[in-house]
Amino acid sequence: MNCNRREWMMDAGGGFAGLALSALLAADAAAETDQNFSGLHHPAKVKRVVQLFMNGGVSPMDTFDPKPRLQALDGTRFDPGDGQKVESVTGSPGFKVLKSPFKFRQYGESGRWVSSVFPHVAGIVDDLTFLMSMTSKSNVHGLASYMQNTGFTLPGFPCLGAWISFALGRITDELPTFVVMPDAKGLPYNNQGNFSAGFLPAQHQGTMVKASAPNPIAHLRPPQQRTQISPASEQAGRRLLEQLNQRHLTANPGDSRLQARIESYQLAARMQLTAPQLFDLAAESEATQRAYGLEDAVTEDFGRRCLLARRMLEQGVRFVQVWSGPSGPSNNWDNHQDIDKELPYIARQVDQPIAALIRDLKSRGMLDDTLVIWTTEFGRMPFSQNTSGRDHNGGTFVTWLAGAGLKPGVAYGQSDEWGWKAVIPIWCYDLHATILHLMGVDHTRLTFKHNGIDRRLTDVHGHVIEDVLV
Amino acid sequence: MSLVRGVVSTLLGFSCATSMIAAESSSHIDFRRDIQPIFAQHCLSCHGSDDAEAGLRLTDYESITVALDSGTPAVLPHRSGESELIRRVMTGNLDQRMPPSGPGLSDDQIDRLRMWIDSGASWPSHWSLVPLENPPLPNASVNDSLWIRNAIDVFIVDKLRRHGLEPSPEADRRTLIRRLAFDLIGLPPHPDAVSAFVADASPDAYDRLVDRFLASPRYGERWARHWLDLVHYADTHGHDEDAIREHAWPYRDYVVKSFNDDTTYAQFIQEQIAGDVLFPDRIRGIVALGMLAAGPWDESSQMGIKDGTLDKEVARYLERDDMLSTVMNTFVSLTVHCARCHDHKFDPVSTEEYYRLQAVFAGIDRVDRPYDRDAETMRRRQHLLRMRSELAAGRFPVTESRGDELEHRVKAWEHRWHAVSSAWHVVNPEHVVCHADTVATVQTDGSVLFQADRPETDVYRITSQVKVGSVTGIRLDVLTDKSLPSQGPGRQENGNFHLNEFQLWVHEADGTKRQMMLTNPIADFSQEGASIEDAVDGDLGSAWGVYPRIGQRHSAVFALRKELTVRPGQHLTFVLSQEHGEGHLIGRLRISLTDEPQPKLEAWVPDSIQAILEVRMENRTVAQSLDLKRYLLQQEIESALARLPDPSRVYAIATDFEPQGNFVPARGSRVVHVLRRGDVSDPVRLAEPGTLSCVKGLDAEFRLEHPDNEAERRAALARWVSHDANSLTWRSIANRVWHYHFGHGIVRTPSDFGVNGSPPSHPELLDWLAATLRDGGGRLKDLHRLIVTSATYRQATRHHHNFAEIDPENHFLWRMNRRRLDAEQIRDALLRMSGHVDWTMGGAPARHFLAGKGIHITPSLDYLNFDVDHAAARRRSVYRFVFRTVPDPFMEALDCPDASQFTPRREASVTSLHALAMLNSQFVIRYCQHLAAALESQFVNVDDQIQELFLWAYGRLPATSEYAAVAQYTEEFGLANAVRVIVNSNEFMFVN
Repeated sequence: MNCNRREWMMDAGGGFAGLALSALLAADAAAETDQNFSGLHHPAKVKRVVQLFMNGGVSPMDTFDPKPRLQALDGTRFDPGDGQKVESVTGSPGFKVLKSPFKFRQYGESGRWVSSVFPHVAGIVDDLTFLMSMTSKSNVHGLASYMQNTGFTLPGFPCLGAWISFALGRITDELPTFVVMPDAKGLPYNNQGNFSAGFLPAQHQGTMVKASAPNPIAHLRPPQQRTQISPASEQAGRRLLEQLNQRHLTANPGDSRLQARIESYQLAARMQLTAPQLFDLAAESEATQRAYGLEDAVTEDFGRRCLLARRMLEQGVRFVQVWSGPSGPSNNWDNHQDIDKELPYIARQVDQPIAALIRDLKSRGMLDDTLVIWTTEFGRMPFSQNTSGRDHNGGTFVTWLAGAGLKPGVAYGQSDEWGWKAVIPIWCYDLHATILHLMGVDHTRLTFKHNGIDRRLTDVHGHVIEDVLV
Repeated sequence: MSLVRGVVSTLLGFSCATSMIAAESSSHIDFRRDIQPIFAQHCLSCHGSDDAEAGLRLTDYESITVALDSGTPAVLPHRSGESELIRRVMTGNLDQRMPPSGPGLSDDQIDRLRMWIDSGASWPSHWSLVPLENPPLPNASVNDSLWIRNAIDVFIVDKLRRHGLEPSPEADRRTLIRRLAFDLIGLPPHPDAVSAFVADASPDAYDRLVDRFLASPRYGERWARHWLDLVHYADTHGHDEDAIREHAWPYRDYVVKSFNDDTTYAQFIQEQIAGDVLFPDRIRGIVALGMLAAGPWDESSQMGIKDGTLDKEVARYLERDDMLSTVMNTFVSLTVHCARCHDHKFDPVSTEEYYRLQAVFAGIDRVDRPYDRDAETMRRRQHLLRMRSELAAGRFPVTESRGDELEHRVKAWEHRWHAVSSAWHVVNPEHVVCHADTVATVQTDGSVLFQADRPETDVYRITSQVKVGSVTGIRLDVLTDKSLPSQGPGRQENGNFHLNEFQLWVHEADGTKRQMMLTNPIADFSQEGASIEDAVDGDLGSAWGVYPRIGQRHSAVFALRKELTVRPGQHLTFVLSQEHGEGHLIGRLRISLTDEPQPKLEAWVPDSIQAILEVRMENRTVAQSLDLKRYLLQQEIESALARLPDPSRVYAIATDFEPQGNFVPARGSRVVHVLRRGDVSDPVRLAEPGTLSCVKGLDAEFRLEHPDNEAERRAALARWVSHDANSLTWRSIANRVWHYHFGHGIVRTPSDFGVNGSPPSHPELLDWLAATLRDGGGRLKDLHRLIVTSATYRQATRHHHNFAEIDPENHFLWRMNRRRLDAEQIRDALLRMSGHVDWTMGGAPARHFLAGKGIHITPSLDYLNFDVDHAAARRRSVYRFVFRTVPDPFMEALDCPDASQFTPRREASVTSLHALAMLNSQFVIRYCQHLAAALESQFVNVDDQIQELFLWAYGRLPATSEYAAVAQYTEEFGLANAVRVIVNSNEFMFVN
């Protein structure tokens, strides 16, 4: 990595950095990385990532982590023994154990258990690597979402995608490095706070793409009602701008930011040409569209975004984050009322598209250098609230990974017999350290100085989960 | 002005000084430069103040020279050969060698350590903690004296010469006025002002320009924006349920006004930390407290989560962390938050001290705090509130203790009360119907108590024979009882109920029942959104409730629309429908009837007072008479308070407020513990309020008269921060002001003056600025004037190949820095140039988005379809609504921070998204059209239009070639398109 480039970007006041222009805006380190795959600190297995974030807290004991013990204890007062205090942040009167209403079966050669809410994902378990006992510091959506995205429970820290953009830079000049696609129904908890670049320079901010909006990317084109702007005026305008800027550059030598800004307009023009092509899904075969569930109203939104994610990765976007579920008390994974109805409702929206995405990436050979992350902010309690809902539980939850550098079909970690707490806790720090490791980045050496501290994605924690690596 | 004059007289003395100071000796070992980095990089992770392996702390002179666990000290000053530290870094025995991993220290590093020990192992205080004194000016050469304008330049040129550099010549006037205008008022200068300044031959033309900008209200708007960045101010809470803060803006207006009024910095500090305590009779003392509440607030944790859970405790500690970090980061530039989990690795801040600071804020929460907008109402309210609190404390207000005027008032009131209350007759319930699981028992006072299992909803039916001849009104008392949750009067956990409908049915002789309509309901209290009218509106979807005033009796009276004449022995049934759910049911109630023509509620008094009133006057004890007086006085105070104009509100801090859900006031100080590794489940001991001990000459102990009084705690911290002897405070603000003028601070980490921050490039200059500010009255405008009138500031932004080799980042200021406009400057410049700016100051924030109904609490925001011709768009950017978690994509692309974190310095990134935003945002395109239209209406010739455009955007006239190109483009595509090109150009975007 060219460290000076990062420092230069910080240099708001205008010191001469005296750097080669190519280091500023050309795809510098990333371009080189792309050819020899050298990574930042060690050779990389993964060069691009798609993260599927299930907003609200997916119940592990109703999806991937069956707990027969809950069957036996159903309806009794939950007592983990040893005088351990049981808490419930939004209240679970009586702490009555709730068994899973869903049937579990083993699938594939790996024999992973999957419940009836994920029939399609069940078909690809041999490609997945499960982390069975993720754990969080918080039982509150906002804090826990920040933690899974940024490693901190407070607002204002850079998220995983921003760190990866900062560490590895661009693959292509023509598209943003880090793209976020929220659910069509709305933003997740913390709104855009979850995909903020925090204190990293603004170019590492997630670019929000509203997949079903007429103008998916803000400011990509002039507003239509401004009729004075035409292709001809744009082209001539770019030439005039270049002319004025060149004259100014000659009169003000020695400041590389001026040239960098000239180039940023050339890049913008290229992005205007490339980006719209992404959204033209007619270029995909009918079979592909069907596989992603684009013909079914339930799966259409998430399916469209999964398919767009694949197209973006193909075109050189480095990190794509796809959200399932908006914030709020319903239509997401925050199943407080009645898990029997709420969970299948939301799971069906993502099940088929996810399976299609994995199969598609695999068949195109993209899984060889792509990482898929399926995750959520916390799990849910083994006891009930309301009709048959479950409260938030940071104690243990499931994340799975798929793709390059991972042992497929294995599971690492262990939750307790009720799915209440992790026996082998895996923190977001470990997950993030592992992701960075796969991308050729040592998480202890990826730092940015802010407010007196060399900040890391993994704070002062994090261990690469060697057990799941090839 | 006084500062400037002082400097001029100082300057007279140096012009005869001649000598150049020799370059610093390089053989000398400088602890900070040569030794401390070795410790920081290789040793402190194990031998810091927290982890002290083998007892060794490499933190100060004492620690390295005392005996370690092994019995010998690490360092014997002047005897490196015998020092354990040197032996351990040199030994070939890898089990013993330090540092234990890696290749070990280099020979050069070891040499430096030896030289340092042999010269006495001096361990000087960290620069920022050395007491602040006004340093002498260095000597300057005769040559340089021609360039020098004030003392700043003496320090600057001295450093430049030592590094083989020279200052740059003064920039031309067009450059100067554009630089000054963007810097001081955040706006481009008017073309006429540019021309006038260029033509002004008087020697004080520049100084008058400076004075004019500093006197402009636009100055406060510009510099308030810097301050709001520091304290991470926004108009929403942030976090997952990002809700709007309707009343954040009075604090923003306070900051603008403080800058414009040139409030002394000490007062500015004190008001923001403890204005309510230190300036109790000033409105700004309340509004300033918005600083402590400026940061994000975690509504989900604070309001949604029950007290007593770990998650709630975590939220409280994090909340206080934000408050104390806001104060310490902003005012003293120390990163104390590092000590939340461990003693600060580098700075002299212990975990203990961190939690002492937490305890300073242990009594406050963030709420809409009421305040009066005029001084007379404020005085009156304070008088009444003082009386109220004296009464509450059991003391009689002095003003009421003599004379028998009060006695008379009590008599008159008592007389009225008897007349009204004797008109009510309690109904004796004969038959009570309710849910099968509930047990209803009639009490001796005629009330009914509902106990045992609580259903979700219920309908009570109470039937009774009536003793009076006619009925005009009904009174419903809902009563407290020890058996009820929160003492009632409701059966819900929170003590509340919801009475959806209250009905009266008359039993007719033929066995049928007839409903009597109830009207004119009055209650002593109704909760927000659940008024007493809702109980008789015929709608089962609305109800009367009393939250949050639970645990006390309430009453409501209802008039009958038509008077009821009762036959002897006739029965009435009272029906109370309570359909809200979740057990919002009345726990204990009593019904009374009256035949008075107009039923009154006035008779409502608490049980204790009623008991006294029922005793004959001559039989009352002294204490009872006094209680009665006190009660009446209370009533008078409350109604006088109610008659005052409604207070305004500011989102600030308070120790007392109406509870909202699980968000309840401290009303005092909460308990704060020192936590092991920041873990709330691992408290070590109680934390007493206090501050940092590292600032010399100031007491870190507060020695409070009432240590539990949270107000005293904050006042003590405010005094400590604003004290003349606090070297951090004065250096911090002097450096910040310098930073905003030059784009870099003398210390390049404006919010970190710790060991890990950058050292000052010009320590003596920083001290001179800080001491001059402090000793000259603490007014920032004096400091601005001093800085911007210096020759240093007035330098050109020229390029110099050799100097750029020596000092590529311009640390020593051999030229002025070229700076990119920030988001607000760009936006405001477009507004101003277009002529469509609205100069209104202050008030509710301007929303540059369409807000729709959101999914939950956060509304859905649409910035892209907001009509940029809406009046709100024309306000200056400092008045913009800042929505923390849904930022404006245009501003965001221009590096405008989202107020999640403190922003001591803005970024200026160069990205294609920035280019797209500048090209294609509705705002830019539309205001380019407006500017074009203004130019076209002002000038007939395209020639003049383009000239004026260049003057606005660049502060200069176009060169021939530029003119030709722009004119041709204008002819083909119109002036609006040409304006769009110009505002996208580098010359507009950067200030030389």
